[in-house]
Amino acid sequence: MSEEPLLKVENLKTQFFTEDGTVRAVDGISFEVYEGELVGLVGESGAGKSVAALSVMRLIDSPGVIVDGEVTFKGKTLVGYEETTGEPGEPPELVEREEMLTEEEMRTQIRGREIAIIFQDPMESLNPVFTVGSQLREFIELNRDLSGTEARAEAVQMLREVGIPEPEKRYEQYPHQFSGGMRQRVLIAMALACEPSLIIADEPTTALDVTVEGQILDLVEELQRKYDTAFVWVTHDMGVVAEICDRVNVMYLGEVIEQANVEELFYDTKHPYTEALLASMPRPDRTTGELNPIRGVMPEAINPPSGCRFHSRCPDAREVCRRVHPDLRAIENGDHDGDENGRVHRAACVKHDAFDVGYPESEPLENEATGGFEVGLTQEGSR
Amino acid sequence: MGLLRYTVWRCLQAIPVLVGILTITFFLTNAIPGDPVSIMLGPTPSAEMVEQIQARYGLDRPLHERYFSYLAGVAQGDLGHSIYYDVPVLTKIIERLPVTAYLVFSAFGFALLTAIPLGVISAKRRNEPVDHVSRIVALIGVSTPSFWIGLLLIIVFSFQLGLLPATGLFLPWADPANVRGAATQFDVVVESFKRLLMPMVALGTLQMASITRIERSSMVDSLQNEYVKLARAYGVDERGVIWKHAFKPAQLPVITIVGLGLSTALGGAVLIETVFEINGMGRLIIQAINNQDYPLVMGTTFMLGALYLVGVIITDISYAYIDPRVSYGEK
Repeated sequence: MSEEPLLKVENLKTQFFTEDGTVRAVDGISFEVYEGELVGLVGESGAGKSVAALSVMRLIDSPGVIVDGEVTFKGKTLVGYEETTGEPGEPPELVEREEMLTEEEMRTQIRGREIAIIFQDPMESLNPVFTVGSQLREFIELNRDLSGTEARAEAVQMLREVGIPEPEKRYEQYPHQFSGGMRQRVLIAMALACEPSLIIADEPTTALDVTVEGQILDLVEELQRKYDTAFVWVTHDMGVVAEICDRVNVMYLGEVIEQANVEELFYDTKHPYTEALLASMPRPDRTTGELNPIRGVMPEAINPPSGCRFHSRCPDAREVCRRVHPDLRAIENGDHDGDENGRVHRAACVKHDAFDVGYPESEPLENEATGGFEVGLTQEGSR
Repeated sequence: MGLLRYTVWRCLQAIPVLVGILTITFFLTNAIPGDPVSIMLGPTPSAEMVEQIQARYGLDRPLHERYFSYLAGVAQGDLGHSIYYDVPVLTKIIERLPVTAYLVFSAFGFALLTAIPLGVISAKRRNEPVDHVSRIVALIGVSTPSFWIGLLLIIVFSFQLGLLPATGLFLPWADPANVRGAATQFDVVVESFKRLLMPMVALGTLQMASITRIERSSMVDSLQNEYVKLARAYGVDERGVIWKHAFKPAQLPVITIVGLGLSTALGGAVLIETVFEINGMGRLIIQAINNQDYPLVMGTTFMLGALYLVGVIITDISYAYIDPRVSYGEK
């Protein structure tokens, strides 16, 4: 194996304790981010991508609680519990490990300084009553130990870097004087200006129109190469993934179900959900005028289906899928057991030989995807 | 650029409003049944004397003539001559206004100093015991009449405990010679403050309660904003997050409530001055109405209207100052 990962997430679980029940938004995910790498976190709305990303920075607000798992970043333990005990449906008693950073240490050592974030909606992310420049400068001063004038110069320089014309003048302006695309550039400048090792981008281009999205993606690629910053890119758009990501984690209902570098994910897809996601992309080379959506809706994370969580919508589902919950395993198919860096292609599907649970002999399952009756597990579970 | 022109523009806009206030006050006052002459002269005056007095105060002229001459007078700074006190209305107002201003501003100072921290803490600790207590206090505050609070305070602090004087109020810079028992200016300041406390609390409680409520709800909203999350994500400490990033954008509704509260407070001052026997504008108005002193009623009402307008203009200007998105009415 190669060098240590920059960020290592293991078995992370984040739950929301609501009146309707416990929402298992992130349910035991593991992934790594290596230095300078652009890692995608992909999935439909509600898959738990954003919660996973925010959990890494411990920015989950009540009633959300990170209940289990381990997050290490540059050898520091961001999340790590000794033991967790508690009744189901209640937030557990958490005993933090000694080396786990305190809230104060998270604030002064990690947030902004080592891990920066870009939110989805550039219209809401900037404070309307402060100038763009003063916000930028405040964060730079805070995270880079620069004096006021140095931070100001740095802020103007960063605005220029992200392609904002007349940065000196723009520095003095308020957010409402910027367009959506320009605001997102400001937020990218903000993230990069703090010189973090990792930037978490939470669907940063979703709120933008397609041409602006293209420009922003080009900008990020260029700056990422220049600054060699690692990115976790949260998105639901496979097109964006194909364009910028090095490696991808596909999420479904709080779990990572496939993990691969981007070429393998697109050309050697291992999980039926990823296949369905790829097939649902509109493609100009396809001549039929119809889109190919994934059938059914994602079940609620309060009451996830038994077995494989995708079995209610999976075209390849068999009886065994309803019983066996597949974990994420390295898929061996002879050609390779990992890319040049030893990073392995993993999938959580019993179809593959890595799982020997009797998939080939099992009866096909009729469900939302195969067009039969609705398999009722999700329906039974919901009120 | 912008803000100054906006200020001037808002002041110019106030002129037609002032004329409106004058007009309404003038006609309403003259619509009150009875007239000052009959009050001055008792139940059975001779017709001759009535005519004489009416001529002296110009009451024998037709209404519209009196209206226009009144407008012309006000435009030149002449609010007329009080019939009852026999001095210019303006003199009487200048004599009474400072005490009322002292009371109203102190009440707002008290309200803001208590309400803002209370509202912010309440929002920060939403649904915790502190929040519940402050919300209950605020609810009681908005639903209790100020004169009743005043009476309770007098009963407790003056009659039961004997700590504070129940009546009268003078300014802290009043002449020690005119204040009983005060030898030095310092004594006057202390005595003035002691007399201020109860009316200030009585008048300020309603303001405090309504500001607390709006501050809380506005901060609750603000704290959920994406830019507050962003500040946290960039390592801003909790104090900075609350008192800078969340606080400033949350103050717009608060300013509106403070501005609107000014009219309630001026109205409340009339009651409080009566309860505490303070010789301010409020009591002056009541005396003027009781004596059917037309020029004085019009002058004092006009003055309160003008004060309220000043409050509204200050509100608008601070709005523009805090929120860069407020346009200054320029194309």
